[in-house]
Amino acid sequence: MTTTETMAQPGPTAAGAKPMIELVGLTKRFPGTAEAAVDGLTLTVNEGEITVLVGPSGCGKTTSMELINRLIEPTSGQILIDGEDMTHTNPDELRRHIGYVIQETGLLPHRTIAQNVGTVPGLLGWDKARIAARVDELLEMVGMDPATYRGRYPKELSGGQRQRVGVARALAADPPVMLMDEPFGAIDPITRERLQNEFLRLQQQVRKTIIFVTHDIDEALKMGDRIAVLRNQSHIAQYDTPENLLTSPADDYVSDFIGAGASLKRLNLSRVRDIEMATDAPTASLSTPVAEVRAVLLASTWTSLLLLDATGRPARWVNSRDLARAEKGTALTELGLPVEAIVEPHATLADALDELIASNVGCTVVVDGTGAYQGVVDLETIMTVVRTVRDEYERFHLAQKLAQQPADGQVR
Amino acid sequence: MADTALATQALPGTGGTAGTPGTAGAPGRAESRRGGSPLSWFGMPVLLAVILGGTYLWVSSLELDTIEQRTLNVEQLTRSTIEHLHLTAVSTAIVIVLAIPLGVLLSRPFARPVVPAVLGIANIGQGVPSFGLITIVILWTSLGFWPMIIGLVACSTLPILRNTMVGLEQVDRTAVKASRGMGMSPLQVLLKVELPLAFPVMIAGIRTALIINVGTAALGTFFGQGGLGFIIYNGITLNRTPVLVTGVVLVSALALLIDYLAGALGRLLAPRGL
Repeated sequence: MTTTETMAQPGPTAAGAKPMIELVGLTKRFPGTAEAAVDGLTLTVNEGEITVLVGPSGCGKTTSMELINRLIEPTSGQILIDGEDMTHTNPDELRRHIGYVIQETGLLPHRTIAQNVGTVPGLLGWDKARIAARVDELLEMVGMDPATYRGRYPKELSGGQRQRVGVARALAADPPVMLMDEPFGAIDPITRERLQNEFLRLQQQVRKTIIFVTHDIDEALKMGDRIAVLRNQSHIAQYDTPENLLTSPADDYVSDFIGAGASLKRLNLSRVRDIEMATDAPTASLSTPVAEVRAVLLASTWTSLLLLDATGRPARWVNSRDLARAEKGTALTELGLPVEAIVEPHATLADALDELIASNVGCTVVVDGTGAYQGVVDLETIMTVVRTVRDEYERFHLAQKLAQQPADGQVR
Repeated sequence: MADTALATQALPGTGGTAGTPGTAGAPGRAESRRGGSPLSWFGMPVLLAVILGGTYLWVSSLELDTIEQRTLNVEQLTRSTIEHLHLTAVSTAIVIVLAIPLGVLLSRPFARPVVPAVLGIANIGQGVPSFGLITIVILWTSLGFWPMIIGLVACSTLPILRNTMVGLEQVDRTAVKASRGMGMSPLQVLLKVELPLAFPVMIAGIRTALIINVGTAALGTFFGQGGLGFIIYNGITLNRTPVLVTGVVLVSALALLIDYLAGALGRLLAPRGL
């Protein structure tokens, strides 16, 4: 058991991905403690990916992260960044090339936002003009108007804004690697959600190699390209993609940690644009004569018809009874039910399901960026997706298990 | 009433035991806002002008006898005030130069074992009545300016030392951690983060030390070092109330003025954004 835990767990390596951070047998034993805080952590992080370390409090995830930028010096083991051994280099120099974001932001209260963001470039000896230009660029990037905010002090900002500045500060010297310790942990749920989304969008642009620590499995599933579920002393229970973690947890510890509702959580990982939505729903323009609308509805297998306005945006759901009243003279715009459940293609299936349940019609309408009708998602569609995904993974892992059996026999 | 409170504070010798006003570890005194009402900026100078002017008018209205005239003349008062300021300035400068670096050192993790011992010694300096302490120093060495200074330094070390330590201790740990995490060296963190953030508390300690020194310097006359204590002492021994009152008012006004100036300087120099 211990051998498998302390031995290298290379984890899944996507074809062509280049390892950026390699931790080899990283161990930290604090003086006067019997147990190591981090015991032989071996982990490879691919370039441009977000790797999440997730685990209950006290499992050593923050310590593990602080070992990487050597805020805590490892007792033994090796840290390789981009193939270079960083275990014995100058730690200050090392840290200037690793972005660092912490939960409480750690902004310096006596320095302006611009001075805060420009800290690392200043340490690296950039000239003033270059720092000022970079600061403005970064504030822009995190969605804060430089002219408004550069001269303010941290206490004049909201928690969410402070955290944005924290992210901008970590990106200042364009480090290839970033460490983020529960960066969105102390923020209200609504702002957190927004910051997470903004950060993922930012990551699409900057493609940093990121190690992200959290105790929140939902955040891990959302942010991570790969997730390392840690148990005590930073032993890796499973290092895998979010999909694999949900469909085939390695053991009871992992499935307990993921908690109830793994199937529901999986809906967070698929997006509406990736599935086949129903496009056969009957539609008609609001300006179509009622008799024609009726003919369209009758010709379909649906009981309701979606009326679209002149620009192709969904307007109302109507059924045959509504159409009967329309024939008696009521305007189409006043009949049926308004379309409330609307999502865009980048929404997750969880969003779509949520809208669906909240709506008074049995399906969610998908629209494109301009609001024009694309198709609909109903419960059937979502069920099909869940079932297919599960079947696929089960078949895949069964095959893997069978292939590994002889090897296991040898180890024993 | 503010006057009487001040007299005891500024004149530990005459007040009996050494009054050690609520000194160290008083971060509450730290001025956090640069702004403030006009009253907080101009109230004290106006009050001092009124007290000094009033005393001057009162003394001028009296017929002074020759004994009183020997003390209450411009030359004597100026000399005593300068002597007093000299004692205060030199002792406070030395305390600042000694106690701040010592406080910084003691706040480093490696110094933790010796902290209680050093604070204990500093506590003796503050706990023992200043009159006794200076007497001991002078018995040990000799009568003179420097032994007097040593005594003053011993009396006023604790507030600066303690406030430096408290000030550094209350610096937001996350700011320090983030600064280290961005690649600042320990010295850079101290100079660019810890000391600026500790400044308001440290300046409060310096103000306290200044007040102690202004008050204790009044004892200088007993050790041949002059100062405004000379005027008070004359007033008591010669039984001349105008002389006594003038001395007390001058010492009190000086203490208040110095405290006000130090506070104003602290407010102007305090890092913004705190």
